Amino acid sequence: MNIVELYLDIYLITSLVCIAQLFVRNQVIISTTKTMFLACVVFHLISIILLGVQSHQLPLISLPQAINMMVFFASLIVIPLVLRQATYILGVFFIPVATFTIAFTLPFAGVNSGTVFHSYQYWYPIHTLSVIAGEALLGVAAIVSIVYLLHERLIRKGKIHRLGSILPPLRILDKVLYNALTFGFIAITIGMIAGALWATSLNLALAHIAPKVIAGAITWLIFAISIHQRFAIGWRGRRTAIITLIGFSCIIVLLIVICCLFPGSHGTGLLL
Amino acid sequence: MNRIQCLSINHNTAPASLREKIRVSTSDIIPFLKKGDEAYVINTCNRTEIYVLGENIDSFFSLLQKCSDIDVSKLREYSEIFSGKDAIRHLFMLASGLESAVFGEPQILGQVKDAYRDSLKTGMSSTIMNKALHRAFRTAKRVRTDTDIGRLPISVASEAVDLSCHIFGDIKNARTLVIGAGDMASLAAKRLKDRGASNLCIINRTYEKAVDLAHELGGKPMHFEELVSALHESDIVVSSTGAPFPIITHAMMTKLMKERKYNPLFIMDIAMPRDVEEEVGKLYNCYLYNIDDLKSMVEKNLNGRKDQIVKASEIIDYETAMFEKWLKSLNATETIKDLYDLMDQYIADQIDKEISSDAKEREAMEAALRSATKKFLNRTVNFLKAHPDIATIEHTRRIFQLDEDYQDRNKG
Repeated sequence: MNIVELYLDIYLITSLVCIAQLFVRNQVIISTTKTMFLACVVFHLISIILLGVQSHQLPLISLPQAINMMVFFASLIVIPLVLRQATYILGVFFIPVATFTIAFTLPFAGVNSGTVFHSYQYWYPIHTLSVIAGEALLGVAAIVSIVYLLHERLIRKGKIHRLGSILPPLRILDKVLYNALTFGFIAITIGMIAGALWATSLNLALAHIAPKVIAGAITWLIFAISIHQRFAIGWRGRRTAIITLIGFSCIIVLLIVICCLFPGSHGTGLLL
Repeated sequence: MNRIQCLSINHNTAPASLREKIRVSTSDIIPFLKKGDEAYVINTCNRTEIYVLGENIDSFFSLLQKCSDIDVSKLREYSEIFSGKDAIRHLFMLASGLESAVFGEPQILGQVKDAYRDSLKTGMSSTIMNKALHRAFRTAKRVRTDTDIGRLPISVASEAVDLSCHIFGDIKNARTLVIGAGDMASLAAKRLKDRGASNLCIINRTYEKAVDLAHELGGKPMHFEELVSALHESDIVVSSTGAPFPIITHAMMTKLMKERKYNPLFIMDIAMPRDVEEEVGKLYNCYLYNIDDLKSMVEKNLNGRKDQIVKASEIIDYETAMFEKWLKSLNATETIKDLYDLMDQYIADQIDKEISSDAKEREAMEAALRSATKKFLNRTVNFLKAHPDIATIEHTRRIFQLDEDYQDRNKG
């Protein structure tokens, strides 16, 4: 069994333990989940390093590799949340989604020797890593939004003593959501600027990269509006959660549409 | 086991008018006990129960008659008697709150413990009764932690506090406004205070009453005219005034929520007629619960507690069986057998640790260990044979940790 298969297996087992937690609440299971999740992240990191060593560059040269990196970043972001008693349950929602995403992309995330990046400017790693980190943050924000909407619904209906009893309070969820959105927005903004500088240094024609630039700009705009509305007129809680989910859905839909309609329209990386 | 008996007069068997006349103190019971008997008595507003480890509980009816001036025949009619395993089971159910009028209420455990302290002081409770009560405490704890009984509040104030915790998390830093200074408002405010709310403001039409309640709870009194500004600053609002019309209107709150930039606001309207217009609950980030909402939640919680009865019964059956097992082991032969079992286990552990795989060497080591431990146990076994009384047996079991719950008991 190689390291890649091993970390997927650990993710899988951790997911099962997470799902079990919804039915059996036990301190031993909680501690086991936390430890296993840390093991997942460590093995995930090792696999990414090995992949990078094999391909002699950042393992971001295909869409599956970029998604793999995004899940890794998201796992890193979720670690402090899982370790905190008040928010550990977010891991229960995150880990199965991460596992599913990895299982779906891993068969295609191997070394791609055909695409070696010759014009290796340092704008490239800044651009790709920032955008992927931003999208990972927005992915985490989307999961937090789902938990927020679920918990709010349970509170409105007064059903707080079963599933509701293990969900974090709305105020904490809102704070996590706000932080994820803010840092995600900053990261994507940096990524877009770095991308523009990188494209300029390569003298790429705008027409060649236009579909993803437009898609990226739309996504950026949605999150910019969300953050602005929060400060300007107090959109917080449910409305922020809804707009986050709309924004994240846009990313997914645009990704699928662009990959299907404009294959190869963007040098490398994930979305922007 | 059959020597343990319980005489119970409780809210299921007797009316309050009869129960209120019966109060038995531990000192009343002592003359009725023979040498070697043990007893435990508990009095609460809903019950009087006498647990006896002796031959005949019938004699205690005359004690009850003496204490209450009620005929023995009437007392028999309104009481129930449990024997052996049923008595222990009843004690465990009582400590867990499953026999309480308010199903699953936790206060009974404190009352059971207080009564136990009285029994210990008078020396009525000894080895077996002590064990039964410790097991009862353990059972009650398990019922509360392993089932949902303890998690489902059954008072309106507790439910409201739980709801606010789901919105704000730790309510220690939440700004709390209490409108009204009547009993209901005061009770809810106290519950919030108990759960950690430290930033309390009290508003009342009669300012002096607000001052009194604020003084009692360590809050800040405010004039009724400051209501809007107080609402603006608050996270949690408890309203219980005697006003005949709503004092918090939809129009007022629409403007206010906008000014608050839609910071979440939790309003608990426990007044009748209501203090807050129903439409306020539809405002963004405004969580309004009136007395009917809270009562229906409490009703569901009560049903939820009752749904846990099967799980709780399983725990109680298990603990009763374990107590029965312990009681059976409370003779010298059983204890000596357990000591030798412990010795075998010790030898097996030592042999397993030994790395030598040579069978002969292992056999020689086992023989040497067996001989040494047997000599070591010989004095204890001989002493037990010579003094097969319950106290010696129990001490031996505790020293060698022969019962599975020794850790609980060593906590004292």
